[in-house]
Amino acid sequence: MKESLMDVVCCPLDKADLELDADDRDEEEILAGTLTCTECGEAYPIEDGIPNLLPPDMREEASA
Amino acid sequence: MTGADTAADLAARRGADDAVVYQPAEDSGLLAEAAVEVARGRVLEVGTGSGWVAAKVAAERDLDVVGSDLNPHAARAARERGVEGVVADLCAPFRENAFDAVCFNPPYLPTDPDNEWDDWMEHALSGGESGRELIEPFLADVGRVLAPGGVVLLLVSSLTGYDEVLALVDEAGFDHEAVVEESFPFETLTVLALRRA
Repeated sequence: MKESLMDVVCCPLDKADLELDADDRDEEEILAGTLTCTECGEAYPIEDGIPNLLPPDMREEASA
Repeated sequence: MTGADTAADLAARRGADDAVVYQPAEDSGLLAEAAVEVARGRVLEVGTGSGWVAAKVAAERDLDVVGSDLNPHAARAARERGVEGVVADLCAPFRENAFDAVCFNPPYLPTDPDNEWDDWMEHALSGGESGRELIEPFLADVGRVLAPGGVVLLLVSSLTGYDEVLALVDEAGFDHEAVVEESFPFETLTVLALRRA
């Protein structure tokens, strides 16, 4: 994901701001890391450049 | 990993993704036509599937497009087309006033609950018993993420119940206008442009 995506995403649960923590990035984008809600503390993974912003209960179901 | 291995892995992965991701069809073509004509500013495609519509809008109009899908395979397919892919439930993780245009080709086929087959293709096609199971929550929330003056492009099939969808559109506080319409042997497809009433 490009850092500019931060302008349009929020926590799916409470719509609060997310904080970006990048573990791996190239010149253009973040390839791996975590987006953490500044309000409820829920963490959303970024894997292979794609953030998974499903609410936790749906995330479990989707990875099955 | 050698280059050849990488290519083979990518092909295998892409093949695997293709099998579980909705591929562009007539409805995609129609939504793309409308979106290329009407979209502006920052664009979100909900339920992007293969990312084909999103990529077309991005390329032909030179706009920033985000493609979201419940299906991680779809988000990956969209990313491979150069679209910013996000795994999401409809508009849930997007900010208030974030987008100038939101496009959605919803899963719209009415499906008998006894016949649901519970895989990614079903998620891509089935609109539940009414055919409107995803359209309803989408319309209820899309106004939140739409910037002032923004437009929603929603594909509606006659199989889903045109009048019933219009009632939901009205209830959500939007005016509607048909941008493109095409008849096929089993259904008529219309792309509606929705703007705040």
